[in-house]
Amino acid sequence: MDLWLIGELAITGALVGLMYALVAVGIVLVYKTSSVANFAQGAIAMTGSYVAWAFATLMGAPLWVAIPLALVTMFGLGFVIERAVLRHMVGQPIIMIIMVTFGMEIFLRGMMPGFFGVAVKRLDLGIPQAPMFLGEMLINRAYLIGGITSAVLIVGTIVLFNSRAGIIMRAVSDDQGASWSVGIRVERAIAIAWGLAAGTATAAGILWGSTQGVDWSLSLLLMKALAIAILGGLDSIPGVLLAGVIVGVCESLATGIVDPLVGGGTRDIVASLIILMTLLVRPYGLFGREQIERV
Amino acid sequence: MNVDRRTFIASTAATMLTGTTVTTWAQDRIVKIGMPMDFTRVYTFVTAEYAQGHRDYLTLINDRGGAGGYKILADITDHGNDIPRAIEAYERMKREGAVLIDPLSTPVARALVPRALEDKINMVTTLSGRSDAADGEAFPYVMPLSPNYWTQAGLLIDYFRQQDKDLRGKKIVLVHIDTPFGKEPIPIFQALAGKLGYSLQTFPYAPPGNDQAAIWPQVRRAQPDWIIFWGAGVGQTVALSEAVRNGLKMDRISSSVWLSESDMDVVGKDACKGVIKFEAAAGGRDPKVIQQILSEVVGKGKGAGQEAKVGTSYYNIGVMMAAIAAEGVRKAAEKAPNGPVTGPWLNAGIRSISDFTAEGMLPGITVTSQDHQGGGKGRIARWDGAKFAPQTDWFTANQDLVWSEIKKYSEEFKKSGK
Repeated sequence: MDLWLIGELAITGALVGLMYALVAVGIVLVYKTSSVANFAQGAIAMTGSYVAWAFATLMGAPLWVAIPLALVTMFGLGFVIERAVLRHMVGQPIIMIIMVTFGMEIFLRGMMPGFFGVAVKRLDLGIPQAPMFLGEMLINRAYLIGGITSAVLIVGTIVLFNSRAGIIMRAVSDDQGASWSVGIRVERAIAIAWGLAAGTATAAGILWGSTQGVDWSLSLLLMKALAIAILGGLDSIPGVLLAGVIVGVCESLATGIVDPLVGGGTRDIVASLIILMTLLVRPYGLFGREQIERV
Repeated sequence: MNVDRRTFIASTAATMLTGTTVTTWAQDRIVKIGMPMDFTRVYTFVTAEYAQGHRDYLTLINDRGGAGGYKILADITDHGNDIPRAIEAYERMKREGAVLIDPLSTPVARALVPRALEDKINMVTTLSGRSDAADGEAFPYVMPLSPNYWTQAGLLIDYFRQQDKDLRGKKIVLVHIDTPFGKEPIPIFQALAGKLGYSLQTFPYAPPGNDQAAIWPQVRRAQPDWIIFWGAGVGQTVALSEAVRNGLKMDRISSSVWLSESDMDVVGKDACKGVIKFEAAAGGRDPKVIQQILSEVVGKGKGAGQEAKVGTSYYNIGVMMAAIAAEGVRKAAEKAPNGPVTGPWLNAGIRSISDFTAEGMLPGITVTSQDHQGGGKGRIARWDGAKFAPQTDWFTANQDLVWSEIKKYSEEFKKSGK
């Protein structure tokens, strides 16, 4: 086996995994503050990339304007989703809340291509396409910049969680009743978490949109994001960082090593396998908090 | 309920107008065709432009009095690549008198084959569907009317041979979507590898192909002489983007027919200069029939979609199929001017199309009761940064091998119905 190839696949996989992890951060943020599993995260990422494309292409805004505008718009959309949809579900069975997020996923996935047109759209961030070599290994610039940007944003989210606003959100995630009793505006904290989740999803959608083009298939980022969130621990943002790298490297190596042996198709199995194994062996993930309840 | 004078007059006028329209249509001789297509799920990359071209051509023909005196009425609906929905649409269209169905989806077409054969409704499978349906004796009512994937594979390999003179010892890599559609050309590539002496290496990617990051480093390291990528929609743009980022030579990379100007726009028009594809109909606005559409249909505000899409690869394929269907109607009317308009009536017309070029836009299409592919001719075009420029004349190649494969599978269909 070619070690250079393995090295190249591992590096590419790690960078791609970090880009997936940026989608997963939103799932963790929402779960951490409201205990809701957000299955609309893939479609929100897709919507964010459509919005950025619309600002940049339809309205002709330069990227340095279009991207912040898209982030702010999507932060607002996240806020609205919590206010208009999720808040009405308070007190409902958890399965209904999950179904609502699924419903949003399906709605957005149909709505965006219907509104903006179904053809794949170009979202050019100006990343040079020329190959860059490190020894015999090619470093894909699109994934290098995407991976580094994702890592910075994830670390930024960790820092945010250690700020005053973050401590409020952590308090809400620990105990909503106790938070209310000390005057924390729990609904607002949850709405901010949804806004942040939509913002990180948009950043991920823009990065992925620039590497593959903008179309409905960006919503498929959900599957990878779920695998990463579950492996890292549904309430652990640092866990997402490590899990992203693990999932990305495993997928990449499976494609390079296992695919030639079995005739292909292992990449997507890896994510499913990771979800299954994590839930069976360590349900709270690598860094998730184990819930112990008195029964 | 109070009805004021204005409402009364407007209602009366509308009723009279409707009555007039119905009377006018009833007096016309009409051929109904059904186009249940996927506008919303998998084939979205092609359907809108294809349907636009198809409709614009029909408007052109109908405004000129129709084909052989028959106006062609298209009923277009979305099946979302969902087989139960497609069957429901098919049955409705059958009830309403459609004699030709164009589902533009391989899984839907496969599911509809038994019904089309039993109901004697001509089912068009443009550049899709089962490749063995080229055998008109086994599939009398299934009409590819265009080069199937095996023929496209055969033509691409022959073009490589023309360029390199000899493919012995060369390495050809196929990067394909891991679905039956993506695997379809592999038997031909393998058979030709045995015949011409090249080695074939295949790299499947998971559908829809939005992440091929781990595939292309392996392709680059394989150091192929030629690369073929075989997918659709986002899988194509991602494949091409990854090829660019891996520094592969664009003029050694090729695709099946499913690559369009829109894909080039996504990847970067200059970045993929040199890439090759199979072409079934001339692209662009130069063909005479496209010029006629521009002046007589679009220019008069009757276009079915954005003017910017007129002349794109998929638009022109839509025009191609509408033109072939109209020629089939004309031929049918020649044979039996007074109909009755039925599936067998149109079938006889389509199966007598001979050397039809749609005024130079197509290679000569000849359909017989044996060959529903129409002759299997196509050409190779190269992206020059602004358009796909033809590199060859219309030609066909390796048809002996393609037809032995067609016969193998169609015989199996005759025996088992699968």
